[in-house]
Amino acid sequence: MPSKIISDALKNGRTVLTEVESKKLISEAGIPVIETRLAKTKAEAVSIAKKTGFPVALKVVSPDIIHKSDSGGVKLGLENAAQVGRAYSEILSAARQASRKARIDGVSVQKMAKPGVEVIMGMSKDEQFGPVLMFGLGGVFVEVLKDVAFRIVPLVRRDASQMIREIKGYPLLEGYRGQEPANITILEDMLLKLSDFIDKTPAIKELDLNPIIAYSDSAVAVDARVILETQT
Amino acid sequence: MTSTTQSTRNRLDRAFNPRSVAVVGDKQALGYMWLRSLSSFKGKVYSVQIDPGEFPGIAELGVTNYLSLLDIPEPVDYVIAAVPRAVAPGIVEDCIRKEVGGVCFFTSGFAETDTGEGIRLQREIADMASAAGLNLIGPNCVGIYNPEIGLRHTAAQAYGEKGSVGFIAQSGTHATLFSILGEQNGIKISKSVSYGNAVILDSTDFLEYLGEDEGTEIIGLYVEGVKEGRRFFDCLRHVARRKPVVIWKGGETEEGARATASHTGALAESGIVWQTVIKQCGAIKVDSLEEMIDTVKALLYVKPIKGTGVGLIAMSGGQAVVIADVFARTGLEIPLLSQRSYKRLAAFFNIIGGSYRNPLDISSTFLMADNGASSLNSMLDVLGSDPGIDCIALELFPVIRPLSKDAETADPILDAISDFKKRAKPFIIIVTTANSDALATEMRDKLVQRGIPSFSSFERAAKTVKKLAEFYQSRKALSQN
Repeated sequence: MPSKIISDALKNGRTVLTEVESKKLISEAGIPVIETRLAKTKAEAVSIAKKTGFPVALKVVSPDIIHKSDSGGVKLGLENAAQVGRAYSEILSAARQASRKARIDGVSVQKMAKPGVEVIMGMSKDEQFGPVLMFGLGGVFVEVLKDVAFRIVPLVRRDASQMIREIKGYPLLEGYRGQEPANITILEDMLLKLSDFIDKTPAIKELDLNPIIAYSDSAVAVDARVILETQT
Repeated sequence: MTSTTQSTRNRLDRAFNPRSVAVVGDKQALGYMWLRSLSSFKGKVYSVQIDPGEFPGIAELGVTNYLSLLDIPEPVDYVIAAVPRAVAPGIVEDCIRKEVGGVCFFTSGFAETDTGEGIRLQREIADMASAAGLNLIGPNCVGIYNPEIGLRHTAAQAYGEKGSVGFIAQSGTHATLFSILGEQNGIKISKSVSYGNAVILDSTDFLEYLGEDEGTEIIGLYVEGVKEGRRFFDCLRHVARRKPVVIWKGGETEEGARATASHTGALAESGIVWQTVIKQCGAIKVDSLEEMIDTVKALLYVKPIKGTGVGLIAMSGGQAVVIADVFARTGLEIPLLSQRSYKRLAAFFNIIGGSYRNPLDISSTFLMADNGASSLNSMLDVLGSDPGIDCIALELFPVIRPLSKDAETADPILDAISDFKKRAKPFIIIVTTANSDALATEMRDKLVQRGIPSFSSFERAAKTVKKLAEFYQSRKALSQN
């Protein structure tokens, strides 16, 4: 049964889900995401931030802006109400400047995740083999070094376990130089849940959970991007 | 999965094991290549040709010619069509009416030409065959090779003996080269097939068939693309669980630029996805015909390699250094031997002009010694019982006096090698070229005749050992899952 988030977006002719929608969808799949709420006004942003607890991050929410940080649409580590208010205005004006036609729904407010090991999980579809799941370390590891591993969906436990251990940066997950190690079993579980969700949701065309922050006792997706198949 | 597998097997059995074969359109201009290759065929061979100019040539080969497939008085199991492309639909229709077991279209000029006419004709024969359930192989291929019954696609292929290696190739050239080069390397084929444009039967169908084929123990596959990826994936995973499957994927670098909006989409290009498929299914990936030959050879002749520790034996100090470099660079380990092993080696090893740490430099103990064969035997024994050694690699030189010239001394050495192969750890022989390509080839051939195929360089040997060690490791993991 396709989620209402998917059917609503498609009804409106949209294939790119916003961050808030993407996260809600991923959370419905049983994958922990950092709680993210949409603020449509400055006052709303401040009030959500107070409830969430500082520090918070603000990001522009627009179906037309895919690369949020490139267009000044992301403000991190905001410590108090005044900073949140100022960030709200700055994000909106930057977004307007970047694209006059962009539809802007507002700004998302979320608690800053505490530091841990950043990983990425994602899915794209291969013409011949269908959905393919990816795992890697986040940031430069995926962007510059392309240190990632793939498996065809659906995955079994062994696939999840092997693909995590396959990347060159695996020692970083084990707690390199006294860093807090990532809980590998939790990451495996997450990959399996994601595989299961993708298998059951053919309407999804591409997906990135980037980054997921991994700790010794949990892991949480901090950003999510879901792109839907075009309806024919 | 069993129901499809069952039906594919039954469906293709007649074509792979025909009792009668008809060649449509063979002619002088082709040198009657098809009828000549079928001179070895155990069953009945018919020709179908309407050009009277060809009749004497066909009669000269002792083959009965008919004007139409439908005129042949008995059932036809397998048809080879080498007709002009415009005639292809008519031949397909005859095959359907004749209820043949399968037809291979050697004819080319279809969709691969990317012309309107080629694409139209291909669609036409595909539609006809698909509606009638005809086993159409190709077009643009050389079809089936079954050496046991002498069904060949070139007269250069061996026949009469039944091998255990199945080979599937999109390309006819690769099917032919593998069968001939394989034979020279001690690789005997059970059945092979080239399937060209795959309008009806695709690699998956053949993989399913050979997966079920009892005579086939190892499967090699050259593939450029598949039609139904998921079905291929499921089939490969199923087959690879029971038989080693070695895959050579062609056209890996060709990459369609795709518009993607995610990191994952940008990184998941087709070459990587294929690597993933091969790995995830527990198959073995190779990148060339040479690697295909080496890997299949090792699967056939070398016992399962359980770890990465190698014991190396080289013919001289210089070669000992180089073989160690190559194996280490490939990611294998060259461990020191146990105290017990060193004690045993010390009892007979001549360290003047030699050494035995690992690698063993045996110039003075083997090459220059009168009792070389028995010393070699003892060394292989020591390495074979050393707990740190998973695989032994021995270099042989074509310029070795006993092997190249003196038959009397050569035999005990060959005995030592072939005898050892039967009882101990995985063992491979490398015949380096040294100073003569010709002598090296002669020596490799001699070894193949004794049932001991060799590897022709340190690099190829090391790469193969690594690949096999990884394969047996992943197979162990698969079976524990």
